Parts: sequence; structure tokens; C-alpha cells
Amino acid sequence: VIHLYGVVHELEELPAIGGLDDAPLESRTIDGLEVVVSRVESEVPNVPEEAVLRHAEVVEELLARCAAVLPAQLGRAFADEAELVQAVSGKAAELERGLTRVRGCVEFGLRVLSGEPSDSAQRPESGRDYMQLKLAEAAQRDRVADEFHEPLSRVSRASARFGGASADLLAAAYLVPEGKVAAFRDQVARLERAHPELGVVCTGPWPPYTFAGQGEGSE
Amino acid sequence: VSMAEQRALRHQVTLVELVDRVLNKGVVLAGDITLSVANVDLVYVGLRVVLASVGTLEQRREQISAGGASR
Repeated sequence: VIHLYGVVHELEELPAIGGLDDAPLESRTIDGLEVVVSRVESEVPNVPEEAVLRHAEVVEELLARCAAVLPAQLGRAFADEAELVQAVSGKAAELERGLTRVRGCVEFGLRVLSGEPSDSAQRPESGRDYMQLKLAEAAQRDRVADEFHEPLSRVSRASARFGGASADLLAAAYLVPEGKVAAFRDQVARLERAHPELGVVCTGPWPPYTFAGQGEGSE
Repeated sequence: VSMAEQRALRHQVTLVELVDRVLNKGVVLAGDITLSVANVDLVYVGLRVVLASVGTLEQRREQISAGGASR
């Protein structure tokens, strides 16, 4: 079967690393789109964690060597060449649009974590008080989340917010043009200083996984 | 929070973000995921553990900043 790593524009050369199960990387051009693949023995990778890391490594190497990359989700493999060609041709226009969207950009992830709410000071006396307290807390959380999300969205080409774990005030991804990466990082540093009480973790630059899908995150 | 803890937190969150991207984001051309259920569960169990420990680190940070008192 055939495993897909991503669809690329203007790939200089294939990365000098092996793909899943150390199989050599190959590229194909289908309807003017270049895809990077490798052959794998079986449908299910033997060691999932290892496969996850290898897939991620290949995509990262592609990012460094091409003008634009749409990372593929690590999932089902293609049975044969014909299935691969059919799948890529069938979505060629959409893939071209995706490549244009992410061209010249990298992705950043942001998680803002709050601790447990310190409600020991004022114990609610009734169910109604309790509800009001909870509502006020929720509104405050939303305000803080927006305080982070809005300035970061402004320096991004696209952004996406996720539900995230319940402890997260904000879990989001930002598609940032390379020329604005410094400005994005400055904003994160400023917000982190403004909120020493929160845990702020910014990850990246990532290949644009979050913005590779159809119309996703194009806020 | 010590530098070492801060680094550990960053490392854990980066791992969560990486696994989430590779398995849940990205363009899907071949249809639904058929990674075996057992394997996918393994990864997700790992994620929950990582998320839980991120929460623990943050709570400790709260306690420290709330007056340096430990339990």
C-alpha cells in the first residue's frame, strides 16, 4: 500500500530520510500536483508512536524544501497507484486552493491554561448565587481568551479555535506569514507578561496541518 | 516553576500538539482512518496522561504563586 505525507509546490529535492518503516520516499506528479509518498508493507503501521513521529519528521523536512506543503493526515493508506491518482485528481482544484492558502506561511499552536478557580474566598449561599458566580467566571474566561486570540489573529492569515481540554482557556492555531513570525512572537511574549497568572504555551513553527483541510480555519 | 519544570511542560504540550496534528489535522484524501482501534486508543490514552500532567504542573505553579506554601 502507499502512504501519503503531503502535497507540495516546488519541492527542491526529496528529504534524505526514510519514510514509515524506513521505506524510501518517492514523489509523483498527478494533474500538476506533486505528492510525496512511500510504500508500506501493511495497512496498519507496526508502532503507532513511531509512525506518528516519522510522518511528522518527513512533513517537517518537506516544509524546509518547498514553497508550500499540505500535510496529509496519518490515516488510511492507498491500496495502489490507481487509487492514489484517483484521490488526488478528484480533489485537484481544492488542493491547489489549499496550497495557495498556506504558501509562505507556518503554523503556530497556542494553549492558554488556567489553574483551578480560587472560589474559596466567597462561598455562594444559594443555587442562584452559584449560577451567577459560574456565569461570571465563564464570561471572564471568554474575555481573557479573546484578549489573546484577537491580536494574534490580526497578524495571521487565518486562525482556528478548538474546544480543547477543559482546563484550557484557549486552544488555537494560527497561520502566520513568514514575514510576520517575529511580530506574532512579540505579541505572545507581551500577552504572557500581561498574564503571569496563566500558563501560556506557544508551539511551532509547524507545517500547516490545521489549515490543510478543506476550508478549515479560514476565519 | 523551575526552569526544568517549565521545559518539561513545554515538551509535553509540544508532544500533545504534534500527535493531535498528525492524527486529527492535515488533508484527508484516502478516506476514514483505519489505524486499528487498539493502536489509536493507545495514543489517546497517552495523550490524556500527558494532559493530566500538564494540569498538575499548572496547579503546582498556582500554589507556588499563591504564597509559596506547599501542601
